[in-house]
Amino acid sequence: MKQLSKYIFLAMSIASPIQASANEWQEPLNGIVNHVIKNGYNNYSASAQKLQNSSYAFCSTPSSQTLTQAKDSFKENTLDWQKIQWLNFGPVTYFMRYYAFEYWPDKKGITQRQLRALTQTDTEAMDAPKFWTSASIAVRGLTAIESLLYHPDFDPINSQKHCDLLKRVTKHHSESANEVSLQWKNASAQDWVFDEEGSGFDKEKAAMELFLQQWIEHMSAVKDAKLETPIGYHGRQNLKLAEFYRSDLSLNSIHENLKAYRKIYHSGSPSLFDIAIKSQPELAKKLEAQLIENQRLALQLPSDFFAPTQEQNEKVTMATPLVKSISLSQSYLTNLVTNLGFQIGFNSRDGD
Amino acid sequence: MLTRRSFLALGSALTLTPTWAEISGAGTNRKLYASAFSTPEKKHYFGVIDDNGSILWKNTLPARAHAPVIHPEKAIIGIVSRRPGYFMHFYNLADAQLIKRIEPQKGHHFYGHATFSDDGKNLITQENHYPSGAGKIFIRQWPSGEIIHEYSSNGIGPHESILWQGNTLAIANGGLKTHPNNDREILNRETMEPNLTYLSLENGQPLNKLTHPKEYSQLSIRHLDINRDGIAALGFQYKGDLRDQVPLVALSHISWSDIKYLSMPEDVRIRFKQYCGSVCFDKSGNILAISTPRGGLVAFWDVNSKTYLGLKNCRDVCGIAPTDSSHEFLLSSGTGTLMRYNPIVGSTTMIKKHTNILWDNHLKCLSV
Repeated sequence: MKQLSKYIFLAMSIASPIQASANEWQEPLNGIVNHVIKNGYNNYSASAQKLQNSSYAFCSTPSSQTLTQAKDSFKENTLDWQKIQWLNFGPVTYFMRYYAFEYWPDKKGITQRQLRALTQTDTEAMDAPKFWTSASIAVRGLTAIESLLYHPDFDPINSQKHCDLLKRVTKHHSESANEVSLQWKNASAQDWVFDEEGSGFDKEKAAMELFLQQWIEHMSAVKDAKLETPIGYHGRQNLKLAEFYRSDLSLNSIHENLKAYRKIYHSGSPSLFDIAIKSQPELAKKLEAQLIENQRLALQLPSDFFAPTQEQNEKVTMATPLVKSISLSQSYLTNLVTNLGFQIGFNSRDGD
Repeated sequence: MLTRRSFLALGSALTLTPTWAEISGAGTNRKLYASAFSTPEKKHYFGVIDDNGSILWKNTLPARAHAPVIHPEKAIIGIVSRRPGYFMHFYNLADAQLIKRIEPQKGHHFYGHATFSDDGKNLITQENHYPSGAGKIFIRQWPSGEIIHEYSSNGIGPHESILWQGNTLAIANGGLKTHPNNDREILNRETMEPNLTYLSLENGQPLNKLTHPKEYSQLSIRHLDINRDGIAALGFQYKGDLRDQVPLVALSHISWSDIKYLSMPEDVRIRFKQYCGSVCFDKSGNILAISTPRGGLVAFWDVNSKTYLGLKNCRDVCGIAPTDSSHEFLLSSGTGTLMRYNPIVGSTTMIKKHTNILWDNHLKCLSV
């Protein structure tokens, strides 16, 4: 069989994609980590603390005015989350924090059901060590806080129990956000890349590759789950599936996501864009133009786009240019990074 | 020493398609492996590699394929197109010539896997009768391809099946109803009923049918392997919520009344992202390997003690095949990596990193 192997060998001769040198990815990686992730979690942690403070202030003096202030803090914190939501990587993966920060979609109303059960729980039990870290992810973050502030089942102005629960959820949420922020401050992306012993492993490139994979996946989530699904782009409309629909943040969340995309593209010196423009100028420019177009088209949607004021077909007509644009930017990004030598997932993206 | 020319001459002097024994006699007992692969330019191939990772031959495919199928006696290897698949190509290993193309009956498609009967006289495929969604097992005469039996798979979405003791087929009925008009869109997510069916090939009757408890109804049973003791290892793909805490790996036996789930550390289970790729026993049949390309790792268990052993990181890994050594596996990935790994001693041998080859889901060892 050795002879067989030797003599029926056919050489492979497939052209190599253009590749940047290994160290070239350190700067874009550092840029994204410092400007998008570390700054992002720092802001997110600060606004989570503010949300906790305003929830405590509201509960000490319940009124429609203090409730509005708590809601404003919630909105600020939620929009800070949208800037970093694209990355499920690193410290946020510990203890299911990523899913705890936002439990969405919640098709079965698990958050409501579990919050109602928690309102019957003794506050002493809820203050026990590890109660919240071991609690269901459905009641530990923004989705639960949104329910307590906006859902008609809850009346924190008049119910001490509801306010007690709000205080505890916002406290746990703030602590979690702070822990993730602190962990990022003392670490690098390479710390969370799993080494592949024996394969000439390049940690910077591997980390960058994971970021790019998650960015591409997030584009799908924005297009499919955030935009198409609730308005019934392919089927039945269900506006309650829109992200943060109770607090009317569905569209603003998309705005923040799309802004974050351009920040990812341009962070670092050189940035991914700077490197791409040298070897793949046409594609690099197309992606840049499409990312801007995404933002422009999203801004054209009416502020009440996710409200039940228009017919489904009107919503679909209005959303179509943005759906197509996000889809196109996803294709450009995929082609660009593939041409730059990244493997954005073969079996992992399209297995069976 | 044989040259390629003399090998081919030997092949034609023997029969049109030599047996594995004849091919082995022509050289050493070197191990060969087969896998589908693609290139970044989205061209698709079926190839054979040696244990140094060198590609011995490749053939172009009309579309992306999924799993190889190996004839038990003749040096014939095939490849099944991926779901929804409409072709199987079979090649003479000696000269790399396409010797047979099989297509499904009207209204059917393949699921990406097939197997030969132990005597090599029949080819067994899992198919979707997509107008009804019924899972089918077709038995075709080899090499004519003539259909001699058509059985119900006793479920929907029969993805992979493994033959055991000659006349029992263990079928992973994944439970996913799909129609090619909607590509891979799941049409019955809320009513899925995956099962593992042990089917008699003598009469097409189920000998045992194992299902999950109701809370795991969205746990699609997709891939399996069986060791010499008849223990079937199962790898699942969960179609429910990414956040749900569900088992992803299990064991079964034709005589058992339920599926026995294997545990793993929660931080590892989370990394699986609810998705198992390939399922494979080592040569001894006691070490189980399950890949997860989404998690970029292969996890290992000792089957006798049902103990989790550890993992090997490898980005986009999916293909696994046993090597000649007990406890050792060859792993292939969508990044072009081929590596050997032994989870007992923890040894890694990087075989080759093909820069422009994306190894597809499944890797099979040839009987050379």
